[in-house]
Amino acid sequence: MATVSLSNITKSFGNIEIVHGIDLEIRSGEFVVLLGPSGCGKTTTLRMVAGLENISGGMLKIGGRVVNEIAPKDRKIAMVFQNYALYPHMTVRQNMAFALKPQKMTVAAIDAKVREVAEIVGLEELLERKPAQLSGGQRQRVAMGRALVRTPEVFLFDEPLSNLDAKLRTQMRLEIQKLHRRLKTTSIYVTHDQIEAMTLADRIVIMRDGRIEQIGAPREVFSHPKNVFVATFIGSPSMNLLPMRVTRANEGCALASGTIVLPLPLKNDHQVREGQEVLLGVRPNFIRLASKPALTGNPYEFEARAEVVELLGADGLVALRLGEHELIAQVDESVLPEPDAKIWVGFDAARLHVFDRASGDKIL
Amino acid sequence: MDRKTPLEKALIYLTALVVGVIFLFPLYIALSSAFKPDIDMFARPPVWIFRPIWDNFIALFTVRRFQDNIWNSTVVATGSTVLSVFVGSLAAYALTRLKHPRMKDVAFWILSIRMFPPIAVVIPYYILLRDIGLLDTPWALILVYSTGNIPLTVWLMRGFFQGVPESLEEAAQVDGHGVWAIFWRVALPLAAPGLAVCAMFCFIFSWNEFLFAFMLTSSKTQTVTVAVMSFWSSDAIEWGRIMAGSIVIVIPVIIFVFACQRFLVKGLTMGSVK
Repeated sequence: MATVSLSNITKSFGNIEIVHGIDLEIRSGEFVVLLGPSGCGKTTTLRMVAGLENISGGMLKIGGRVVNEIAPKDRKIAMVFQNYALYPHMTVRQNMAFALKPQKMTVAAIDAKVREVAEIVGLEELLERKPAQLSGGQRQRVAMGRALVRTPEVFLFDEPLSNLDAKLRTQMRLEIQKLHRRLKTTSIYVTHDQIEAMTLADRIVIMRDGRIEQIGAPREVFSHPKNVFVATFIGSPSMNLLPMRVTRANEGCALASGTIVLPLPLKNDHQVREGQEVLLGVRPNFIRLASKPALTGNPYEFEARAEVVELLGADGLVALRLGEHELIAQVDESVLPEPDAKIWVGFDAARLHVFDRASGDKIL
Repeated sequence: MDRKTPLEKALIYLTALVVGVIFLFPLYIALSSAFKPDIDMFARPPVWIFRPIWDNFIALFTVRRFQDNIWNSTVVATGSTVLSVFVGSLAAYALTRLKHPRMKDVAFWILSIRMFPPIAVVIPYYILLRDIGLLDTPWALILVYSTGNIPLTVWLMRGFFQGVPESLEEAAQVDGHGVWAIFWRVALPLAAPGLAVCAMFCFIFSWNEFLFAFMLTSSKTQTVTVAVMSFWSSDAIEWGRIMAGSIVIVIPVIIFVFACQRFLVKGLTMGSVK
């Protein structure tokens, strides 16, 4: 197992810089996910780690060794590609054995290694089939097996589940988790799917426009997003953002918008200034709905109207009209209101977020 | 569901029949004439039902030793095909995978060689081959035909190599394989239908070619196309042997194409770049 260190890594195509100074330290055995929208530079960063793209600037180390100029084959890495990259003219056995040929192993040794890995990924019965004869999940396992046979120090995954249907994706996610727990190989996983990131990662690296927005454990980036981008990218449905203004109330600060006023639970009022335009963030899962207020005079409860109600199964989504604001709540199906019904909306003060509207940075 | 009326279907079949007759009639004339004595060949009205004779074919192989010409054509066509496919596929792979801004220009320059009318270059080729002592040798035609076949191969194979996903080659690169192993064991097998298409085109072009063979060979290396023309002299025109020779020339090509037509269709459609 090896550490991976990216120090001020940049990538340019011609005069256009697309990856701007990435700094990231990955511990040995850690599962790190690079998460972000399409075009954010996550795959380019992964390909630089693999050696498939030249590094324009900065230093990349794998296992303490600078590898900027080292060929991919000498970096002790293995990669699982988005489209599996299985050789269609070779059987499963040949696909996996092909990865070992450059190592000048004997035929018997290659065969033994292929069988060993086939057992790990559950491919023993499929060794003589060609990729066209396999299902999507089986192909994915062959791709992982082909990476495993080389016993690398770092695994690189480039959106390996994006071509699978939702059910298979869930199943393969579990397989990847089990494999990582068993082998504990340092892994870098690229995806745009935040569910994959939240379920697989030890740490998530959220990227946008070639920069890192935040690095943290899944719980941390979910509960303490650093800015509006991270707040809205993580979590499904997306975090509600209500434009508000800071006012001075009798004791401490408050946020106001139209008829809605709620106190700002800040310990130090000097973090905000009066009149500052902010965004109040509240996740749909942390909105309470009730037919009447839970507590009289609760400053975090407001009367709203349920405009649209969608039943998802065990829970549902409610589109609410709160003053001039629209927001989405995700609640248990037992408390779903009728469409157009008047409803009381409650916020949990401990789960509120406040972002500066101009910069998007977190205030609270 | 087929919505064509019976009249429309009849018109389509009639058109196909007319086109087929136009294209196949000359072949029929050659085939029937090859089995006719000269007197029946030019009979008015034409003789449609006749007793076939083998005299023209027998004379072709006994008097004229047409088998030597067949051998020459086979050597030249095969040699040019092998050389063109080998060199052309390597060049096509390099043009496809090497990331250089001028690669498109290089590719166009290679194709532009094919655009030269043969009549414009046949004299320079003659002089060049004479000076290096290759006139009237198989190598003269193999090299000259390859100057036309290689550009064709490069352009066809480029399309096929572009259809091979780069991720396959990157996967092989990560595994530790070098450029040659990636080309030989990953890219080329996947572009094999393209190789078949190129081989067919190269062989057919080389087999049927006349001008260069006429100008650059003499008795030793005369190919079938030139040999057939030799039956047309100032003394006499041996129509029967000309027709017999034409049929002998065409048969291998027809068999070859029919045997490989599945490959040809598959290869041509697989080569389209998505």
